[in-house]
Amino acid sequence: MAWFKKVANGNGSRICAAMLGSLLATITLTIGITMLWPFGDTTEKVFAGGVFFFVIWAALFYWAILSASGSRAWLKVLGVFLPMLLIDVYLLRF
Amino acid sequence: MDNSTHKTLYATHGWVGIISGILLFVVVFSGIPALFENEIEYWQSPSLTQLPKSQNFELESVMQTAVKNDFIFDEIFISPADDIRSHHILWSYNEATEDYETLYLAAHNNEVVTPGNSELAHILTELHTDLHLPNPIGRYLIGIAGLAMLLAIIAGIFIHTKWRKEFVMLREKRSWRLLLTDQHKLIGLWSLPFTFILAFTGTILGLLGLISPILAFAAFNGDVEKATQAILGPRAEITGEALPSYSLNALQAQYQKENPEMLVDLISISGLQKNAEPQNNQASQNSESPTLLTDSGGIIKFSGMHGSKLNSLQATTYQLSTGEQIHQANFFGNGPFQRIFAAVVPLHYVFYGGGWLKLFYAISALAVCGLIVSGNMLWLTRRGYNERHWLGRSTLGVCAGLVFATFSVLASSMWLQKSGAEQHHLEESIFWGSWLLCLFTALVFPKSFAISHWILRGSAAMGVLTIIGDGFMNQRWPWNSEGWVLFIHVGLVMFSALLLVVDYLLPHKISQKKSTEKTAIEEMAKAA
Repeated sequence: MAWFKKVANGNGSRICAAMLGSLLATITLTIGITMLWPFGDTTEKVFAGGVFFFVIWAALFYWAILSASGSRAWLKVLGVFLPMLLIDVYLLRF
Repeated sequence: MDNSTHKTLYATHGWVGIISGILLFVVVFSGIPALFENEIEYWQSPSLTQLPKSQNFELESVMQTAVKNDFIFDEIFISPADDIRSHHILWSYNEATEDYETLYLAAHNNEVVTPGNSELAHILTELHTDLHLPNPIGRYLIGIAGLAMLLAIIAGIFIHTKWRKEFVMLREKRSWRLLLTDQHKLIGLWSLPFTFILAFTGTILGLLGLISPILAFAAFNGDVEKATQAILGPRAEITGEALPSYSLNALQAQYQKENPEMLVDLISISGLQKNAEPQNNQASQNSESPTLLTDSGGIIKFSGMHGSKLNSLQATTYQLSTGEQIHQANFFGNGPFQRIFAAVVPLHYVFYGGGWLKLFYAISALAVCGLIVSGNMLWLTRRGYNERHWLGRSTLGVCAGLVFATFSVLASSMWLQKSGAEQHHLEESIFWGSWLLCLFTALVFPKSFAISHWILRGSAAMGVLTIIGDGFMNQRWPWNSEGWVLFIHVGLVMFSALLLVVDYLLPHKISQKKSTEKTAIEEMAKAA
């Protein structure tokens, strides 16, 4: 357990959260934005999602990398990823 | 900003730069010739530069000539003559030979002209767009490099708090390290708006293929083809039923009437067929183009750039048999995000603002190259590594090697004009061979500074050799040239002179003490 804590809190974990975790969170956020964007037609929604993708990825990357530890970085990105995943599933299902 | 945030941002800026720096240099430097792709393509074929100046373009006549020359395929692309070149280019993918077929027509009389055998422009441009790697690996790598550049820029903005002072500070007579620091900050600050635009647009262009399925998944149930058609227009659905083609000139006139400010730069025709018996065929007697038939599902798409606005995603599609407009993509007057996307290509490749803006982009791209190299050198210097470190050698081999390879292939394209069909193979061999030679030399010989001087001088010599080669082989000397040929000569002279200035200013040797990663980051944070 101590070994797991050490790895989870380490720099490698923080960098993984910033690179991979933020990418996953960005994908779910982009899908949500594309489906929920209230202005314009479908084409506008697609382009809104496309522009936000890069802005969100960069923002989430720094939000995660500036965390005090790896586990906090993962908490941040998972805090975005999981709720957005649920919203996406709900929107795509219904 | 607290100290730990500052340190983390510093470390992120440094590591992102180090990991992606060499790849970024390749992408940014190769972007300079890619910016002038049309101009270089025009210059590399002396036979095309001798054509009378003309932008005359009649689609019907062009297609009749194409058909007469058996240039008829399922989908044909046409790029009409413009203010740079006086010839039309037609190309298509030939599924039988699994290669692209091209046809060049003189704009003033629509006669077939033979271009040279040089592939200079394509060699240099493909490095920028695909790194000469299989599609889409190269494109994605470039997109990731662009994203890394974006991340490095964002961190760079936050860590440089004394930016007013750094805008003008260059302590050239103190230490090598201070000189590198000041130069890195100075170039970074002055080129910031340009680098930001370049990184953002480049990231979108590079990773568009990667995010398209995500966007299509959200808006079109994962159907990327449906999403593409909704945005850019439908594809032809070939039915096998031949009908007379609607007048192509009438369609061209209709498009120009509906879009008077558009400069048509690409036309794609799908489903056009050659009429084997134009005199006896009932369909051809009803047609305004007796030798042209079309499949009932055939379409024609006109797309182009807006003359005065940042817009590249404007296209109109017509049915070839009836002339009916079936799709129009026009993102002006639509939402802000469509306009942002429509501006990406013109902003990245300068499809607006003319030649002077292209020159500004080229100079700024050179500044970014300086920024990347100084960043790598700074990283090494702050850690006390000497010129023998593998990163320094790799930076020298790849970055300076690319400069040498680019100038070598420019020179060879002129001197190999008489080598016939083998020319482009030789050009490719010289490009990759000279680059590998520089990389090998840099990795094997320990004196990196001495090698860098030789590479800089060699590149400058190649620049001059290019002009001499153009004079001897094509009788195009700077004093009897005009237009883009003259501009390219002047550009080569200026670039060669710049390389010699860098050669003069660059030290031959530096000495420094070794420090650790931790102390280097602390010192960097303190310096900021």
